[in-house]
Amino acid sequence: MPLDPASAPVADRVRDLNERYRHHGATAVLERALSDAQVGNIALVSSFGAESVVLLHMISVMDRTTPVLFIDTQMLFEETLQYQLDVSEKLGLTDVRSIRPDPEKIRELDRFGALHLSDPDACCDLRKTQTLASALAPFDAWITGRKRFQGGQRAALEFFENEGDIRIKVNPLAHWAKDDVRDYMINNRLPRHPLVSQGYPSIGCKPCTSKVAEGEDERAGRWRGKDKVECGIHFINGKPVRRVAEGTEGEATPQEETTMSVIVTDGGFAADDWNGELAAPEDTGAAAVLLPSDADPEVLRDRLDQLKLVAVDFPSFADGRGFTIARRLRLMGYTGRLRAKGHVIADQYAMARRVGFDEVEIDLDLATRQPEDQWLRRAEWKAHDYQSRLRA
Amino acid sequence: MYSYTEFDEAFVRERVAQFRAQVERRIDGSLTEDEFKPLRLMNGLYLQLHAYMLRVAVPYGTLNSRQMNQLAYIAETWDKGYGHFTTRQNIQYNWPLLKDVPDMLDALADVGMHAIQTSGNTIRNVTADHFAGAAADEIEDPRPYAELLRQWSTDHPEFQFLPRKFKIAVTGAPNDRAVVKAHDIGLEIVKNDAGETGFRVLVGGGLGRTPMIGKVIRDFLPKDDLLPYCEAIVSVYNLLGRRDNKYKARIKITVHENGLDEFKAQVEDRFALLRGQFGGADQQLLAEIKAQFARPDLPARDLSGFTTAYDNDPVFRAWVDTNVAEHAVDGYALLTISLKAHGETPGDATAEQMREMAALAAEYSSDELRISHEQNVILPHVAKSDLPAIHARLQQHGLATANIGLISDIIACPGMDYCALATARSIPVAQQIATRFDELKMEHDIGPLKIKISGCINACGHHHVGHIGILGLDRAGVENYQITLGGDGTEDAAIGTRTGPGFAYDQIVPAIETLVETYLDERESPDETFLDTYKRVGMAPFKAALYPAEEKSRAA
Amino acid sequence: MSRQFTPKVVTANALLEGDVVYLTADDTWTRDHAQAELIEDEAHAQIRLVDASARADEIVGAYLADAKAGPDGPEPIHFREVFRTRGPSNYAHGKQAEQ
Repeated sequence: MPLDPASAPVADRVRDLNERYRHHGATAVLERALSDAQVGNIALVSSFGAESVVLLHMISVMDRTTPVLFIDTQMLFEETLQYQLDVSEKLGLTDVRSIRPDPEKIRELDRFGALHLSDPDACCDLRKTQTLASALAPFDAWITGRKRFQGGQRAALEFFENEGDIRIKVNPLAHWAKDDVRDYMINNRLPRHPLVSQGYPSIGCKPCTSKVAEGEDERAGRWRGKDKVECGIHFINGKPVRRVAEGTEGEATPQEETTMSVIVTDGGFAADDWNGELAAPEDTGAAAVLLPSDADPEVLRDRLDQLKLVAVDFPSFADGRGFTIARRLRLMGYTGRLRAKGHVIADQYAMARRVGFDEVEIDLDLATRQPEDQWLRRAEWKAHDYQSRLRA
Repeated sequence: MYSYTEFDEAFVRERVAQFRAQVERRIDGSLTEDEFKPLRLMNGLYLQLHAYMLRVAVPYGTLNSRQMNQLAYIAETWDKGYGHFTTRQNIQYNWPLLKDVPDMLDALADVGMHAIQTSGNTIRNVTADHFAGAAADEIEDPRPYAELLRQWSTDHPEFQFLPRKFKIAVTGAPNDRAVVKAHDIGLEIVKNDAGETGFRVLVGGGLGRTPMIGKVIRDFLPKDDLLPYCEAIVSVYNLLGRRDNKYKARIKITVHENGLDEFKAQVEDRFALLRGQFGGADQQLLAEIKAQFARPDLPARDLSGFTTAYDNDPVFRAWVDTNVAEHAVDGYALLTISLKAHGETPGDATAEQMREMAALAAEYSSDELRISHEQNVILPHVAKSDLPAIHARLQQHGLATANIGLISDIIACPGMDYCALATARSIPVAQQIATRFDELKMEHDIGPLKIKISGCINACGHHHVGHIGILGLDRAGVENYQITLGGDGTEDAAIGTRTGPGFAYDQIVPAIETLVETYLDERESPDETFLDTYKRVGMAPFKAALYPAEEKSRAA
Repeated sequence: MSRQFTPKVVTANALLEGDVVYLTADDTWTRDHAQAELIEDEAHAQIRLVDASARADEIVGAYLADAKAGPDGPEPIHFREVFRTRGPSNYAHGKQAEQ
């Protein structure tokens, strides 16, 4: 049963919980979430995707009767459906609920199953977001597998989130790194989603999931070529929030789940003063592009003079391709603004400047962990530079 | 030899200060372990099986006495009184505490040394022929180029996060003592038809789990083009190299998978783009560096003392015959001091031994020492007439072992006694082989024979290029040793061939003995070396001797 | 699951000293293998490992190592883990020197 409405407001409980579990690991957070009276009635929402098995396994060890909500959008891969059955059985989960979209609405809005072609956001909203919203109604809290490493907008993720003052969202894996997930699966000999070995590290609905090239961001295969990074299933202020595709009629102002980022220059931290979208490199009309770390900078050669801003993505600070990309853009004659964006650490600031970047864009989480003074310590990047002695 | 400019000195100090702050930021949580690890690695600090390990570069293997004394001081102050010289002209300290490492780095900076880029996915310590500047067969001293490459690669902003580690070696002599064919970039100084010197550039060599011999990417590179050409290679590799699988991330795989022609085409393109970046400042710097590597003045010396000792003292004679090589200047010698005393750890020297070697260098070798990739120390400019006195001093410090190039002059990686990656021990195997053949008093009769031992597939002990290579593996929780024969790390580089199934820890020394007995039976004369015999007779007799039961069952 | 679970200890290296450490039942780190918590249950082992790994300000590289019960406490099984309780074989350095 849902908690008594008289109990403490969601916002207070979330603040309390985050405070209390700040220094705990994933299993501790999950264990408490399942039993803590402050959390209330809880369900795990699982896509039975590439990494879902980690939380499912933890649940199976702690309390296999925990309700598991599996959203079957009716657009899933056969392999996912089979995997859901196999994993549920192997782990002995006793309350897996397969939840499907309302057939009435499907008949009304997507009778031919082609909505994803014309409006992928509307398709997500219909098949996933609304379905989940109604399935979650009886619960006080739900568990997700979201992780900070998965990308910009998720970088500040906390263990407990307030969802519109009505529900708590629990992210036990918030602090896990890619390797943690992999190690956990290996150490526990957990069955892999059959599509992972075929090049799909992130798995959603069949029409909107493509393979990911080596070295590409894991979620790059989701909604490839579409201006979309998060599924609408994530909520802000309790309301399902999704990006509204350009040209569609938005009711009121769409609220986007964006995380503020910080721009670092030799002068320190500042807010981002670029008010525009970063287009994909293929978008030939764009004034600003975001170049993935596996892109060939040659694709921009013919329009270097019309570009105002080129941002080069750093999916991980250990991926040094962006430094060579920047140097090449400069050698090719690009003189506009050049930005390193993503996981760049303070210790790399001088390297970034020396290869030709003007600035670095980091998320709030990193800016908090490595505050301005740590970056300013590298602001004197022209000093002690061997290259400048050799290149003249 | 090169001494730090004010720029070098300030750079290294700044780098130590940065690392000191990085250690503090790791402890206070500003840096995660994932972020700290590559930063500590690019400053030479590993976390091994029992402790941290600091790897200090000896650029192109060259040291003066002050530096060697400082290495001794560091060993006594922050470690357990010894250091381990490695196969890449580095020295490793096995027991530092994290908090002491910045102080150790400052102590190194005091004598113009550092641990920068001795690890991590960066361009590593540039190595060179350990006889450079003294060998009789040399076209030109490779060390000024190695120093230029050191300056170019140090803190190179583009290349601190490469797909994988990157090793460069340079030789200036046709007899390759720097294993250049087993490096990511190998540079050989050559003369073209016009009589100009330049570089033959090899790319994509390496040992490890997929051993490959480097391929020639440029037959003749003008010397002025060295930096832009190397930069083009590494720059292409940085984008093209695989980052999805660490075992396929080295440039040898990049070249192999893309084909040399495609790789070369991209390099030449990039080179064209980059060439203009280097407008002569590098060559001016090179000229200044070269001046510092001028050979010391080596006056003619009377040889009678040497001749008398050589004719009358068999111990001295045996030592000269194995440990002394021909110098470019008459009356002088290249003396190799063996760090392979029978039963000791290959490559280890105590602080006291380091001080003695430093003192000998100051007194007898124009203040110069060298570290070889075969884990020995060299006095490069010794007058032959001083050899008897030097020999007597070395004897007092356990440093007069006469075994260079012989069966007990074994290369061994640290193996599972220290290394977190190892699958078996290497050091005790080396110790036992050396002890056994010393007991048999056979090693001078056996003649040149290089045994190289690695404690895992990563091949730090260069087992692929050992005449006899030994690879230690973990087979179902038990140490097991595979043997390869016929490897060669010289200009005739070759990868050894496996004999067959491996041997247990207590069977590996008898197996080596069997191989040596087989060689002694098969050789046509004492002049035919193990490698020559192997090349002539092939694997069959060795295999038959190692696996007699199998041979019988096949015959039956 | 019918397969027998091999008991484990949680082990790592100390962040500041680099020395080998083991997790005890009362959540402290010991340098003595025999003082470690011998974990006989697979699920519990995972939970202990995940919790241990989160203590990044104390240790580096936590993992589970096979172990067995002995008269004086848990004993290592694999030779690598045996070496880690002692130190190198060429010198009497490391833990063997402290005993």
